[in-house]
Amino acid sequence: MSANVGLFLLVGCAFCFFAKSIGWAAADELGEPRATALGLTIAPTTLTAPQPDNSAALRDPGGGLSLFLRNGCGACHTIRGTNAHGTIGPDLSHLGSRTAIGAGVLPNTEEAIARFIARPDLLKPGVRMPAFDMLPQTDIQAIARYLKALQ
Amino acid sequence: MIRLKHVVLGAVGLPIVILLGAWVGFFNVGASSGHWKVTAWFLQLAMRSAVRTYALAVDAPKTLDSRGLPAAAGHFARGCAICHGEPGEPRSPAVMRMLPQPPDLALTVGDWTDAQLFRIVKHGIRFTGMPAWPARDRDDEVWAMVAFLRELPKLDANGFRDLALGGSQPTAPAALADCTRCHGGHGGGRGDLVPALAGQKEAYLFASLQAYARGDRTSGFMALPVTGVDPADLAALARHFAAQPSVSADSDQVPAEVIGRGQQIAEDGIPERNVPACSGCHIGSDKNPLYPRLDGQHAAYLERQLKLFRSESRGGTRFWHIMATAAQRLTDDDIRAVSAFFSKRSAGPQ
Ligand code: HEC
Ligand code: HEC
Ligand code: HEC
Ligand code: HEC
Repeated sequence: MSANVGLFLLVGCAFCFFAKSIGWAAADELGEPRATALGLTIAPTTLTAPQPDNSAALRDPGGGLSLFLRNGCGACHTIRGTNAHGTIGPDLSHLGSRTAIGAGVLPNTEEAIARFIARPDLLKPGVRMPAFDMLPQTDIQAIARYLKALQ
Repeated sequence: MIRLKHVVLGAVGLPIVILLGAWVGFFNVGASSGHWKVTAWFLQLAMRSAVRTYALAVDAPKTLDSRGLPAAAGHFARGCAICHGEPGEPRSPAVMRMLPQPPDLALTVGDWTDAQLFRIVKHGIRFTGMPAWPARDRDDEVWAMVAFLRELPKLDANGFRDLALGGSQPTAPAALADCTRCHGGHGGGRGDLVPALAGQKEAYLFASLQAYARGDRTSGFMALPVTGVDPADLAALARHFAAQPSVSADSDQVPAEVIGRGQQIAEDGIPERNVPACSGCHIGSDKNPLYPRLDGQHAAYLERQLKLFRSESRGGTRFWHIMATAAQRLTDDDIRAVSAFFSKRSAGPQ
């Protein structure tokens, strides 16, 4: 019986604890919030005027085109003469002949194209293209080489 | 006469005496003798009041969605029945000696409103052993469990086993039998909210299982089956399901114009709202093996996943964020249409 008196007192004390804590929830604090917030806002793009057919786009010695299509870049970008018909991002049919890329923030080199594909958000805040840095670096380089060759 | 001195002495002294008592081990924390009647009454009062108060903030749906019943029942069989018992299965005597004793829910669910059950299942009850839901941001799963608890009193032993274990083959290896409980013997997914795994890409299945195990993708239903499973076994399970022939999941009638709208989104996207064409990543055998096939998948499951992506509460493999970008600008109507389209699309020659 004395044990029960003790338990009752203990419970009374414990109650002071509850008053401080927030409710009876056992685990509101499970896990940690998903770290990456997507800072991507999407706004309309300007469509490029139709260009003459370029079948040179199908030449793919380094496998860059098939990597481009395999990873879904074609969902947002067009490369004329290929299966890429996306209209969310700029038309890349003649990327190699531009003077600058990333809306003018980067020089048009193979290395800069690769850097843009991996982390466009670092180079252009508010960019509407997701980062692809989870691809193997060699794949990104092969894609960049292919795009740079599109004259 | 009580003097101020005594009051102060008492105020300082009593806690010290209690602390001392606790330290010497004077209080009986053993559960064998049960609570004093008044203690038990007090604890119940505090628990019930807390649940009642906190449930006021819960926004309960008017009708509970019954599509998640098989998954919830499957989860109940493994995650809850050990304490609460299941129809036709006596509980272990060890559990009957827990303090407080987990109630037979078939008898007590009637005491609670849907919102109160939601509150209890989502957050658990402190100091009683009643655990919280194992995944954050998955209120949809908690509601599925509440819907199941409402069914529980109506189920006899056979009814429960059918609902919870329907497709499983008791002869299969233990790890696989655990999966078929919800995903079915032919990997078709039992109930519209459990995905079909049959014929899905192996790399995607394996990466998804690892994502659940790491907590990168949250689901209370999937957390338990992957916990503590060896990665080599997860790989074997992924291989098993990927090799099964795909099954056509849904037979509901959907108006042709809804499917047509879905096809348009799938093939062209919605350029004016910057929604990319789904086909660029999800159609064709030349696509990245971590981009899942959607053909023949349950429409309700696809809808649920798209809504989770849209609210950024669906993680996944290391590619998940590109899908979150794609889903950002979809309306509920778009989601319904495109999900219906893919669920009706047969894999075709891949
Ligand atoms: C969800 C749609 C989306 C996907 C998928 C996507 N991009 Fe983009 N990309 C864009 C948008 C939008 C821009 C324009 C960025 C800006 O200027 O804000 C862009 C810009 C680019 C540019 C710079 C073009 C220029 O004119 O300067 C390159 C290069 C590029 N993307 C390559 C790729 C590659 C390679 C992939 C696949 C690995 C890819 N993109 C996948 C939307 C996408
Ligand atoms: C480790 C044992 C344990 C497990 C596992 C467990 N519970 Fe409980 N549960 C309890 C105990 C103990 C109580 C009683 C708490 C009290 O009365 O203060 C309880 C109470 C409840 C109640 C309130 C019932 C009432 O009338 O008081 C509900 C509802 C409930 N559990 C649902 C579930 C569900 C659903 C699951 C599975 C997801 C689950 N529980 C898993 C131990 C458990
Ligand atoms: C209690 C029911 C249940 C059990 C048991 C279960 N699953 Fe699941 N599984 C689900 C539900 C529900 C989902 C969808 C979860 C979500 O929303 O993320 C799912 C999702 C998955 C996915 C992701 C599929 C996709 O298309 O993204 C894989 C892979 C999977 N389960 C494999 C397994 C394997 C392997 C096992 C056995 C070790 C298993 N599941 C056991 C209910 C269950
Ligand atoms: C740029 C590539 C890309 C585009 C475009 C894309 N997705 Fe996805 N999608 C993915 C990837 C990658 C995943 C796997 C995410 C993960 O679990 O890590 C995925 C997953 C999904 C899932 C979850 C499948 C499952 O089994 O759980 C659904 C549903 C989905 N996508 C629907 C769509 C729809 C509808 C569209 C068009 C509006 C679309 N996707 C466009 C890349 C894409």
